[in-house]
Amino acid sequence: MRSLLHAVLLGLLGGGIVHIIVLLLVPEFSERDAWSRLAMASDLYKMTRLDAEAGGAPVVKSVDPLFYAAACRFDLAEGMVRVKAPGKVPFWSISVYDRGGHNIYSFNDRSATAGVLDTVVLTPAQMIEVRKNLPAELQGAIFVEAPIAEGMFVIRSFVPDDSWKPIVSRFLEQSSCELQDF
Amino acid sequence: MLKNAFLTLLSLAIAVVGGGGSVWYALKLQDGVGAIRIGQWTAFPDIGTPTADPYSKARVAREGVLALGQAEGLSFIAERDSGGEQLKRQCAYKIAGGFPTARFWTLYAADRSLGVIETGKPRLAALQSYQVLREADNSVIISVGSRPAPDNWLLTSGAGGMYFVLTFYDTPIASSTGLSDVTLPQIQKVGCNA
Repeated sequence: MRSLLHAVLLGLLGGGIVHIIVLLLVPEFSERDAWSRLAMASDLYKMTRLDAEAGGAPVVKSVDPLFYAAACRFDLAEGMVRVKAPGKVPFWSISVYDRGGHNIYSFNDRSATAGVLDTVVLTPAQMIEVRKNLPAELQGAIFVEAPIAEGMFVIRSFVPDDSWKPIVSRFLEQSSCELQDF
Repeated sequence: MLKNAFLTLLSLAIAVVGGGGSVWYALKLQDGVGAIRIGQWTAFPDIGTPTADPYSKARVAREGVLALGQAEGLSFIAERDSGGEQLKRQCAYKIAGGFPTARFWTLYAADRSLGVIETGKPRLAALQSYQVLREADNSVIISVGSRPAPDNWLLTSGAGGMYFVLTFYDTPIASSTGLSDVTLPQIQKVGCNA
């Protein structure tokens, strides 16, 4: 009887250890995280719609039904990435995520020059290079320094009512996400 | 000998099943570690940030969530009405009260996976602050149910469990200092279709 109790107690202690290990390993081994889902849907540097409006099931869930969203994956090891979208919409916001889906940086249209979406994501080392000689076409862009290699970029845009749907759709479809040579 | 082997196996079984199961259960709970509760509403202000706790990080990885950033907004989820009962799609509710400062907010009725519920009609089960009618004191009263209602009406349909998701965009409350004295609207049950 004593040894049975001993075994159960030991099991509970082991359960605690297993709990902590499993918890810390879930992010490492998850194949259902946002990056993996996006990777199944499209390539690097390709804007992908996240809402169901574009047809098919939403790639990444729990996007507000009154919002349209698009995302692209990038790899800063290959160079800095520039994201642009033309046009005016009632509200847009930007988030930069790392490989694990953590929000590194976010801003919205009130932070941008004249509300125009033009931003460059780059590592601190690339920022030093760019600062030395800033190209003219990047002068209006918002620079986001992110100490990451692989990451994701999400544009969310508000659709107040049905009449805005084509305008917001066009805004996201014309958005570009490209590797910027420097 | 056999007894020792049995006891060892028992310990291992308790460790693996108990440890794994408790992680699974902790991640299932809507109201987990790191939650902030205001009335019936729950928010995870730290979810998806690099400073989040391990439970939030595991939830983000498992569900593929891309959480809103602090400059974007903050989501609150309600699972129960003010009487403490689970929200149901066949019931009518009244959501009334003041809303904290934000550029705008959206409110939608969600299913278990927090996607908007299917109404089968062109009208979405969602409302936003630019389209609501306000009372004289700037508060908002929203009728929730499958029957049309005057003033602000949030359409729901079907039967089963339901959540309300209330998201504030471009709001000072998303930076955690503002969260302490925020009040959110009450959710009162009006009645149910049995």
